Amino acid sequence: MFRRSSTASVETPGKPGGLNRKVWATNAPVWIANVAEEPTLKRREAALQAGLRSAFAFSILVRGEFYGVMEFFSRDIRPRDERVLEIAQTVAHQIGQFIARNHAEAALRVANEQLTRKAQELTRSNAELEQFAYVASHDLQEPLRMISSYTQLILRRYGDRLDSDAREFMDFVVDGATRMKQLIEDLLAYSRVGTHGKEFERTDCEAVLQKARANLRAAIETHGAVITQDPLPTLEADDTQLVQLFQNLLGNAIKFRGSKAPTIHISAQEHGPTWLFGVEDKGIGIDPQYFERIFMVFQRLHNKAEYPGTGIGLAICKKVVDRHGGRIWVESKPDQGSKFCFTLPKKREIHS
Amino acid sequence: MIEKDAVSPPIDILLVEDNPGDVRLTKEALKEGKVYNNLHWAKDGVEALEFLRREGIYAKAPRPDIILLDLNLPKKDGREVLSVIKNDDKLKHIPVVVLTTSKAEEDVLRSYELHANCYVTKPVDLEKFIVVVQSIDRFWLTVVTLPPGKG
Repeated sequence: MFRRSSTASVETPGKPGGLNRKVWATNAPVWIANVAEEPTLKRREAALQAGLRSAFAFSILVRGEFYGVMEFFSRDIRPRDERVLEIAQTVAHQIGQFIARNHAEAALRVANEQLTRKAQELTRSNAELEQFAYVASHDLQEPLRMISSYTQLILRRYGDRLDSDAREFMDFVVDGATRMKQLIEDLLAYSRVGTHGKEFERTDCEAVLQKARANLRAAIETHGAVITQDPLPTLEADDTQLVQLFQNLLGNAIKFRGSKAPTIHISAQEHGPTWLFGVEDKGIGIDPQYFERIFMVFQRLHNKAEYPGTGIGLAICKKVVDRHGGRIWVESKPDQGSKFCFTLPKKREIHS
Repeated sequence: MIEKDAVSPPIDILLVEDNPGDVRLTKEALKEGKVYNNLHWAKDGVEALEFLRREGIYAKAPRPDIILLDLNLPKKDGREVLSVIKNDDKLKHIPVVVLTTSKAEEDVLRSYELHANCYVTKPVDLEKFIVVVQSIDRFWLTVVTLPPGKG
């Protein structure tokens, strides 16, 4: 009966009358030694009928905020007992902490779930995007081959029946298709950095550089490039991708050499958990306004007659460094040379 | 250039290819070669297997001397066709040349795992394409000694 009247009455904190209102208003424990002598108690009659004679109540604070009130009734008239109140206070404090911890854990769980979901979404959309680039590149090759093959077939079979204008136009078609093919292949190579990366293994950067130099041997010999280097470390990486990284940077240093024979220095410095690499040349340099842009896909600063290429090399470098958890940037002055810097962590850390 | 013996019968080539442009191009390339051949065309994997098993309209189809197989085909793709051929005692001796646009490592590897006899990427350049088709033709049909007895 009393319980029913208690649970049925929803009390508003702050208004005089109820036991919990009193606790809320004074923010201190309340002790009623004799319910009969407490006319302001709202459930006085109900309590007395139920044979309850005394009561005490205290607040529960969660992180300093009023959370609720605990009420206790007794069948005996009992004078205020500080010891009981002290124990009650301790219990209230513990309950408050318990609730606070529960809240924090629940919040953390929700946050974690959200984070996991977001990460899964991101991984999925990244994978989809890479798969898309890959499939698109493949399927785009097919019609392109038709355009260039049949244009060439026309030139081959009917070339002598075409006038010089027609042959020139046909040449533009073939040239366009050839460049398109290069763009697609580069896009494919770019998407492969993400989709076809290997597991990281102990990788000797000396061996990596040797391989990159071997791949560039023709260019190095043709232009009489002089390449010097610091001793290079061994770290955990995808060796194929590191070869690509060094090869692209060295290749650029040779390509953008200017009028002199290229001189290139490869440096490596230890910085705590990472290595800082540099590929420095004395070539044509880069205007600072393009420092960011050059790392984007298909961004070029020169016309094709001056410097051929699609503009994928540095974008691939950036993607390789990103995947290894490092950073890449350029320091350069026009006409004085460029230094491409990148960091690579020593320890395995896969960033997809 | 290896001269073809005038009395030898024509070579039967089965080209499994869904793109008519590629079929015609292959024909043109073969035309420029010296090997006398009958080119049969299956436009998807299902047709290719019907041809090889002499089913339906292919009841009188000859056993091809060589199969040129594209990988990306409608209905049954080239990988499935390759797997069926190489698991069929009556067919597995026929050399299969995978001729495809894909340069992807996994396609190359998968094809050899399925016992493709060789893997060739279609060049974009016409001259190179002609050279490739003629090389396949010449190598498999005049240099190599194939298993005897056309079924």
